[in-house]
Order: sequence, then C-alpha cells, then structure tokens
Amino acid sequence: MTTETEKDKQMRRLAKFIEERDSYEAMAKAFGQSPSGTDKLYAPLTEAYVEQHNAVIRAVENGDPFVASYYGCQPEIYVAMDLPWYTFLTPVFTNAMSPTLPEEIDATESLFGKDFCTAFRVAGYWVEKDLAPLPTAIIAMLHPCDASLAAHQLMQTNEIWRHVPMFGCDPPYWNDERSLDYYANETRLMISFLEEHTGRKLDMDRLREVIEESNKMFKLWIEYNELRRAVPCPHGYGVGLQAFGVAMNILVGDPKGTQWFTDLVEDAEMLVREGTGKVENERVRIFWFDVVSLGLSLDLFPWLEQEYGAVVVMDMFGYTPYTLIDTTSEETMLKGLGKRALCDAPMMRQARGVADNWIGDIRQVVTDYKIDCVVWPGHMGHKDGSANIGMMREVCRELGVPFMNIGMDNFDERYTTTAEIKEMFSRFFDSMGLAKAG
Amino acid sequence: METKVKSKALQQFQEAAETLVNPELKKWMEQGGKVMALFCSCGPEEIITAAGMVPFRARGTGSTGTELADAYMASIICSFTRHSLNMGLRGDYDFIEGAVWLNTCDHCRRIYDNWKRKVDTPFVHIMSLPKKTEKPQVAWYRDELVILKEAVEKHLGITITDDKLREAIKTHNETRRLLKQLYELRKRDNPPITGADALAVVVASTAMPRERFNEMLKELLQDLKEVEGIKDYRARLMITGGILDDPNYIKVIEDQGGLVVTDMLCFGTRIFWNDVDEKIGDPLQALAQYYIADRYSCPRMFQDYPRRAALVRDMIRDFKVDAIIGERLLFCDIWTVEHYQLGKEFRPEGIPYMQLDREYILGGIGQMKTRVQAFLETLGR
Ligand code: SF4
Ligand code: SF4
Ligand code: SF4
Repeated sequence: MTTETEKDKQMRRLAKFIEERDSYEAMAKAFGQSPSGTDKLYAPLTEAYVEQHNAVIRAVENGDPFVASYYGCQPEIYVAMDLPWYTFLTPVFTNAMSPTLPEEIDATESLFGKDFCTAFRVAGYWVEKDLAPLPTAIIAMLHPCDASLAAHQLMQTNEIWRHVPMFGCDPPYWNDERSLDYYANETRLMISFLEEHTGRKLDMDRLREVIEESNKMFKLWIEYNELRRAVPCPHGYGVGLQAFGVAMNILVGDPKGTQWFTDLVEDAEMLVREGTGKVENERVRIFWFDVVSLGLSLDLFPWLEQEYGAVVVMDMFGYTPYTLIDTTSEETMLKGLGKRALCDAPMMRQARGVADNWIGDIRQVVTDYKIDCVVWPGHMGHKDGSANIGMMREVCRELGVPFMNIGMDNFDERYTTTAEIKEMFSRFFDSMGLAKAG
Repeated sequence: METKVKSKALQQFQEAAETLVNPELKKWMEQGGKVMALFCSCGPEEIITAAGMVPFRARGTGSTGTELADAYMASIICSFTRHSLNMGLRGDYDFIEGAVWLNTCDHCRRIYDNWKRKVDTPFVHIMSLPKKTEKPQVAWYRDELVILKEAVEKHLGITITDDKLREAIKTHNETRRLLKQLYELRKRDNPPITGADALAVVVASTAMPRERFNEMLKELLQDLKEVEGIKDYRARLMITGGILDDPNYIKVIEDQGGLVVTDMLCFGTRIFWNDVDEKIGDPLQALAQYYIADRYSCPRMFQDYPRRAALVRDMIRDFKVDAIIGERLLFCDIWTVEHYQLGKEFRPEGIPYMQLDREYILGGIGQMKTRVQAFLETLGR
C-alpha cells in the first residue's frame, strides 16, 4: 500500500479546481472562435479565469506560496506581492453549472443548518471533505456577513485547515476617517502576516503600479456605467458582474484588465451612438439589487428580455461608485485600499454598515439610471438585506417605482425555481400594467 | 423537576423572567428612574448604570406575533429579532428612555435601522463592535465607549465621571460574583436549583436595578443553603447557545429528566464568568478590555473559538456534565457553525451533543420532548 505524500494530497485537492479550469478553457475556446458584438468580451475574460486557475495549479506543483481570499480583502496586495490567489468561495460560483452542485448542497445538511448561506455551506463542506487546494495562508473576510465570519471559524476545528495560518482584517461599522485609519492599521498587520508566512515581501512601488493600473480600470468602469444610463441601455444583465470579475478578481491591477474595460467602453459607446439597446423594444428598466446569479442567467434574464422587454440596467455588482486611490504615499494607498474594500466593493458597501447605505444606493441608482422597478432577489444568505425590505419598499414608494422581494437562493435553483420566479414577475408586471411584449 | 425551596426572592426572579417590565423595574420608573435597553450582551451596561439608569437587556418576552415587524423584515430573519422589533412597533417598549445596539449579527443590527425610523424612542445609538479580540480592537472599542458615554451625557445633560464608572463596575462585578456563587452550588451532585430557575435568576439580573438585584440574590443564596438538592434526574446537561431567555424552554428539558447544571449562553455564564478588572486605572479601558478580550465571547468573535471550547471543557469537568444541548434560533448563522464545531469536538470525548433548532417563542413542545427523550436514551439514562 502506498501512502499519499503531501504533494499527492495537494494534487488530489486540485481535482475540482482543474475541472473548473478545463470548463473555462472550453468556454474561452468557444468564445474565441466566434467573436462578434459584445460577446467578444467573453473570450479574454474566460482566458483570464483559466490563467488565474493555472497560476494556483503551478504554485501547487512547484510548492510555491499562494493565498485563499476574496475580492473584499484588498487583493491588490497579493498581486503586488506576486502571490497567486483563489477565491475561497469558488465552489458555488464556478460550479454553478455543475450537475453535482445540488448533491453537494444536500450533503451539507449533515453539517450546518439549511438556512446558512449556501455559498459558505458548500465552501465549508469542501473544507470538511478536504476538496479544496490547501493554501499557504488564508486572508479571511470578516465582512459583510455572519456567514463569512462563521465559515472561517470552522477552519479552526478542521484537522487539516487549522494548520494553515489565517488572518482577517477587522472591519469597522463606519465609513469615516477614524475607521479608515483603523482599517489601514489592520492592513499593515495583514501585510506583515503575509510576509511572514509566504516569504514574499511587499514592495510599495510595485503596489503603486498595481493600484495605478486598477485606478485606470475603475475610471473606465465609471465611464462605462455612465453609458448604461442611456435609453435604451446598450448592455443587459451579466456585464456588470463581468466588470466586477475583471477589476476585483481575475485581472486586478493588470493591463489586460484595462484593455478589457477599454473594449467594453468602446462597444457600449458604439451601441449608444447607434441607439441600439440590449433588446429591440426596451420597456422596463430593472435595478437588480444583488449579484446577478449565474443560474438565472441561462433562463430568467433572457426570458425577461424577450417576454417583457425588461432589461437589467443596473445590479449590485455592476454598481460600485469607486473612488480612485491616491498613490502619493503608503498611507494614502492603504487608506484608499481600505475604503475600496469596505465602502466601495459591492455587497461590502451595502451590507457591512448601517442601512442608510442600502437606501442611498437605491435612491441614486433609480434616479441616475431611469429605473422602472427595483428587485430585491432576497438571497437566503442575505439576512441583513432581508431585514431592510420595509425600508427598501418605502424608498421605492417615495421614488414612485415598484419594488419586488423574491426570496431565493442565488446558488440553488430548487429553493425558488425559475418557473416560480417567472410567475412572480408576470404578476408583478401585471400590477405595473405591463403586458407581455408582442 | 423543581427547586425545593420556598423563597420570595426566587419567586420574584421567576416573575421577572416571565414579564417584560417586572415590579422592581416598575417601582424604579415610578420613582422617576430611567431605563436604557441593550440588544446584545456585548453592550456596556456599566455606562448606563453610571448614567443613573437601569440597563435592561432587551427581550421579546410576552410577544405573541410578528405581524408588524413582518412588513419590515423577511421571514429569514431570526425570530428574536422579529419579535423584539414587533414589540417596539407595538409600543411595548415605550417604557425605555433609550436603546443601544451593536453590529452584533446581521439580524439584530438591523433592528436598529428599523427602530430608528419607526419607533419613537428618545435616544437610539449603535456601536461598532470589533470582530476580533486583540489589542487594536480593545483600543477601538474604548473609543466607541467614549462616543456612547458622550452621547448619553448630551442626551441627559449630565456628566458621567470616572468615579461613577468605577462605582458601576463594582456593582456589576458584584452581580457577576453572586451569580457565579449561585452556579457554584450547581456543581454539587444534588444541585439545589433547577436550570430553569437559574435561568430566571440570570434573566432577572439584566432587568432590574442592580443593587436591588444583588440584595435579592443574596437572599436567595441564603435560602438555598439548607435546601435539599435535586436527586431525581437522569443526566446532567449543559446548554450552549445565544439568546435563550425563557425558563420554560429549560423546563421542558428538565421535565424529561435532564437536569441543566450549567450553560454557555447570553443569559448565562458568558455574561458573568469573568469580572471587569477593577485594578485598571482608567475605567473605560477596563470596560473595553473586559467586553472585547476578557469576557467569554460568542461565535461572533473571530478566532476565539479555542477559548470558548476551553470554557465548555472546563464546565464539563467542573459541573460533571454528561451531555450538551446546543440551542439555536432558526436562521442564526453564527450558531449553526459553532454548534457543528462543538459537537465535532466533544462527541469523540464521550460527550453527546445535540443541536436543537427553535423559534424564539416556545412552541412545538411535543416534538422537543421527543427529541430530548431520545437524546437522553442515547445516554443510556
Ligand atoms: S451571505 Fe451573501 S455575502 Fe455572505 S457569503 Fe453568502 S452570498 Fe456572500
Ligand atoms: S450571541 Fe453574541 S451577538 Fe448574539 S446577543 Fe449574544 S453576545 Fe450578542
Ligand atoms: S439568535 Fe443569532 S441571529 Fe438571532 S440575534 Fe442572536 S446571534 Fe443574531
């Protein structure tokens, strides 16, 4: 009988990761072969996903350091330290289309309550079943939700993961200078932690380069969002999420990301100039106040467009009024990164602090983007948001736009099926006096 | 199963746990005293006492529904949150001068946002509670205490001096020490008090003027001295969890023969097992140190699990615990993971661990009885 070496174990843990990489690779190839219209933006995006996976796979193969973390934990720093990183929550997002996901979700019932956010339930299950690549260090995300914090506690009792060094920056509840100073101090501790455990040093000049490149992306993103104000809206659901993916996940501070945004702006500009909208006859402009779930992208959103001319003009992950980071000094950079992580990044911005952040965003988006209705999908993990539905409804009433609360699971179609959601939309649009198109 | 003592103090505690506004609190208010509610046990009671008010740990006791709150919160919000907001909306909390929240969990922190907009309470405040327990967090929380203190001073037009704070710390420490003495008695082979009654005492400790409570608890401790202990139990149980404030819940367990001898609850050891250090010169520093670093945390605090598990382990040994019941309100995220972890840790050590999900208002008693009975049977009792 052969015993599994540490290296073998790490290779085994990569199995699902490699599967994911392969599916991205297939997608990248398909998109690369038929680059037309807005779709051409998918090819570089999926290629970047492949490369991000490959970087982690190479690190495992070569025994180099890599990190498990999140977009809300200042990934610019890992990039500047040349540390490959993967999102610890990866299973539910990248496996969204996987036929085995429902089985895995069901299997988590032996561990946690079914009411615990599915994203972390599955991630936690992967930890317990030793299915995820074991990183050199974990940068835990202690905001915006209880699920994230709780899931990281889990690692402290897992025989394997408890040995991986873990650090989390403590998120203050406020957005003021005192909070940003405090968080900058936490970030300094995080940098020391990473230096100690990965052996990599952070060069402030390299960090400046990364931030400056990311500033370029955010500037373009702001420009892009201006274009989405156009009636009809040039792009539909999903593009905001892609922009978020590029800027905060897969091409952080990378000139390829800037190029992607340049192409995005160009494409949108052209469509706006031509007066071409995502749908021919745009009749309803939706603000989807959460992540655009991949599961729904296959069916619900296309259906909304075709049946009702209803376009997701803005969503939570596409709407991030970023402040560009001042790169004059270490101090300004760390404070700027903190502000980005706490106050700008989607979900963190709304869910971490007081409800005024929610209400403020609804008010702003409805006005700026000529929104006709606001939809709160009510993902079962988003307790803090679902505790705001009264406030959301009231601000919508005040703004004169209808509001709908769905109550679904962003990662499990069985919780509220697409058919049920369609039914809800039909009734909702009926009450808005909107008949089916055609 | 019953506490075999005729004690006036115990009766008063039982009554205090069953009502929102108990007679002692009523008396205080009739004399012009003010009350300030706190929505999490991480809130600094001492500052409120030092301001001359009674700190009152918010509960949903007596609530019969969530019909008003349901317009503001979806059904995936924990029922404590919905019931207590409902009571606020109904005016049941009109007796308070103010309320203080912390960003404790995703559910409870939103009561503040809704309350601020919909309930007419003269003073509302929310504090930013760190999620770690180290030095920078203690320093951050000290600043939060200063902000709260100044806001209370401004609201009441008073000054809260360091001496008043020190005095308040002494009073609250005395409450803690007395409660600990009560728990010491439960270590006996035949504890003189049931778990249900002990919970009533702790609940009362958060709901009446503390000096008065301390006197009453001294009386009860005296009454319990001679009492015959409880012998007719099948197993000694520990309860872990969050906001369990209903003695009747424990009673259902005890009526099946499982005597609850200790706990790790928000209305339990977590709020009194340690004292505030009276030797620290700056009282606000002492409070910050206590609430962030010294006190036993709940799973809301990151990377502090080992200390919580160590407390459970000590309790198992000192209180001769046979098994643990982990109570959780449905939809509570932080406790589902904690219970899973504690179960995983203690089962192999021969301590069965059962997670019981529940609603805030006691219901489904039949099903609960069945589960507790089955659990006790697995212990061979
Ligand atoms: S509750 Fe929301 S923010 Fe938290 S882990 Fe789940 S999806 Fe992410
Ligand atoms: S469980 Fe923790 S967060 Fe909840 S009330 Fe208790 S101390 Fe506060
Ligand atoms: S039971 Fe859980 S969800 Fe409810 S208030 Fe307490 S900590 Fe929050």
